[in-house]
Amino acid sequence: MSAAVVSNIPGGSPLVEIKGVHKAFGGVHAVEDVSLNLYPGEVVAVLGHNGAGKSTLMKMLAGAYPIDSGEVRISGTPAKIDSPADSQNLGIETIYQTLALADNLDSVANLFLGRELMTRWGTLDDNAMEVAARDTFHKLNPNFKNIRVPVRSLSGGQRQVVAISRALYFNAKILIMDEPCAALGPEETRMVHELVRRLKAGGVGIFLISHDMPDVFGLSERLTVMKNGKTVGTYRTADVNEDEVLGMIIAGKKVDRARQCPGPVGSIQ
Amino acid sequence: MNSTLQISPLDLRLSLMAGVLAVMAIVFHVFTGQFLTPENLYNIAQQTAVVGIVAAAIALIIVARQIDLSVGSVLGCVGVLIAFLQYSKGWHWVPASLAGLALALLIGLYQGWLTAFLGVPSFVVTLGGLMSFRGAAFLIADGKTQPVTDPIFLALGGGLDGSLGPVISWAVGIVLSALIVWNMLSRRRTQKAHGFPLRPMWFDAALAIGFSVALLIFVATMNAYRLSDKPAGQGIPIPVVIWGVVVMVMAFIVRRTRFGRYVYAIGGNPEAALLVGIPVRRVMLKLFLLLSLLVTIAAVVSVARLNAGTNSMGTSMELYVIAAAVIGGVALSGGSGTVLGSVLGALIIQFLESGLLLMDVSIGNRMVIIGQVLIIAVVFDVLYRRWSGERMA
Repeated sequence: MSAAVVSNIPGGSPLVEIKGVHKAFGGVHAVEDVSLNLYPGEVVAVLGHNGAGKSTLMKMLAGAYPIDSGEVRISGTPAKIDSPADSQNLGIETIYQTLALADNLDSVANLFLGRELMTRWGTLDDNAMEVAARDTFHKLNPNFKNIRVPVRSLSGGQRQVVAISRALYFNAKILIMDEPCAALGPEETRMVHELVRRLKAGGVGIFLISHDMPDVFGLSERLTVMKNGKTVGTYRTADVNEDEVLGMIIAGKKVDRARQCPGPVGSIQ
Repeated sequence: MNSTLQISPLDLRLSLMAGVLAVMAIVFHVFTGQFLTPENLYNIAQQTAVVGIVAAAIALIIVARQIDLSVGSVLGCVGVLIAFLQYSKGWHWVPASLAGLALALLIGLYQGWLTAFLGVPSFVVTLGGLMSFRGAAFLIADGKTQPVTDPIFLALGGGLDGSLGPVISWAVGIVLSALIVWNMLSRRRTQKAHGFPLRPMWFDAALAIGFSVALLIFVATMNAYRLSDKPAGQGIPIPVVIWGVVVMVMAFIVRRTRFGRYVYAIGGNPEAALLVGIPVRRVMLKLFLLLSLLVTIAAVVSVARLNAGTNSMGTSMELYVIAAAVIGGVALSGGSGTVLGSVLGALIIQFLESGLLLMDVSIGNRMVIIGQVLIIAVVFDVLYRRWSGERMA
């Protein structure tokens, strides 16, 4: 339904505007003067070496690290993201590479962790949560039935389903995915790709951190490369090739033959 | 585990422990001929209460990957204050106990804040507390024993007049049994309404009836203990009633509240707990305050039991409390353990103590044996978790 209403072409006003953001740990500049926008219905791939600052940048959006200086606007309004709860309230969902699951709790508890459904007496509404969870898991993987066992005993794909379900159930406007397919088999990777396309069609903006070039070229509209905490460049994915992207990641070399693309994909044509 | 009966490794473990308890009781009875008597069981129930009350809270502290070594000293400190205010200052026992609670909460706030907000390991914070608060217990009344005399207060500690009597005991037993059955039925009803898989009826019924019968046997045993100068049996000792209420409230907190769920989430994966937006520090601080509350309750029961507050009260109780939690299946690595397990753990220790005492085993031998039983429990814990797949080899 939403796919029919919302235009499939990314554009409009930005969902996320990151402007001149800094972050230092001790004396080390993890993120230095980074600016990046995200528009509804687009996937922006964030690339870089380990330690390039991409995860730090995303964790600032997710509320896990406070921003030292710079500004983040969400849907045009300056946002103060001091905690993961703030980030969630702004419609940002984050799927961490570690999945952020409590292994000793079951899938239902993990889906709602931090945002439990409550009865009117202020106690946990386990039944309502189980019903909603069943429904959400079913959309992602109809074979996922053992939802009441601790997640430690689930397969990698099932664990991923639980983590992704959070984004789905809480209607993310903005989704941050950190290496979503790194630990997955081909079947599950396809499931993730399909989901990304579905969310995109529904107008969700997605930041995709990935090392995997097929993921990046298959899913993203734009990509931005970071090195040593700074942005190397932001391009339309269609304008650059794999070698050029690797050149940016490894050598920090800008691509001369393509124009940078800080706005939505349609904006520089 | 078993899919139709929905028996989790945890349930299985608790039933195993209940089995161990039963075997211990029978073995001790065979050797001494007086273990399974109303008098002995009455005393065991009453003696276990203080350790059991604190163990219920320590279980959650350990689940959250923390530890509190200071509980015995805090209990001593708070207990002496409560007795001191009554005996030396002439306070009524209610305000005296509230003052004790205030002191305990202050201590909990201090240690909890250091642990949760400054990130000092709770082992170190409470090791310091173990020393300091034992010293404070001495300072409050200058090391003098503070006798207490208020009959209502003394009843809280059990003893001759501190029990419910047969009529109320039966009433409590019957009401609780009815609750167990009602709870089982209403759970089945909601499960059915939501289309969740149900356990077979016979199994649920057997469990509910089993628990009810065990409860009623307990009540009958307590009622069967009659002091020679009294017309009726004793009934359930009040410390056991308090312990029972504490356990029920704690179990409710664990299963039905956000706070309880967050404690387990933090124990399972502290980093994930932070990332999903759980206020980890606040939860941790609250947990220490909850422990303070239960330590105060235990202090009141102890003072009432001893008819006095002394500065040595609660000495080395931390060891028994932690041992009870660990024997009861609380993993020191965090994230796993139950309140009911702490009850069984506390009972196992008390059964051992009491049984060995009846067998005239000397204090030295008793300590050696109990220490090794603790190790056996941990070895079992490691093997069991490996077997149930909770832990890698």
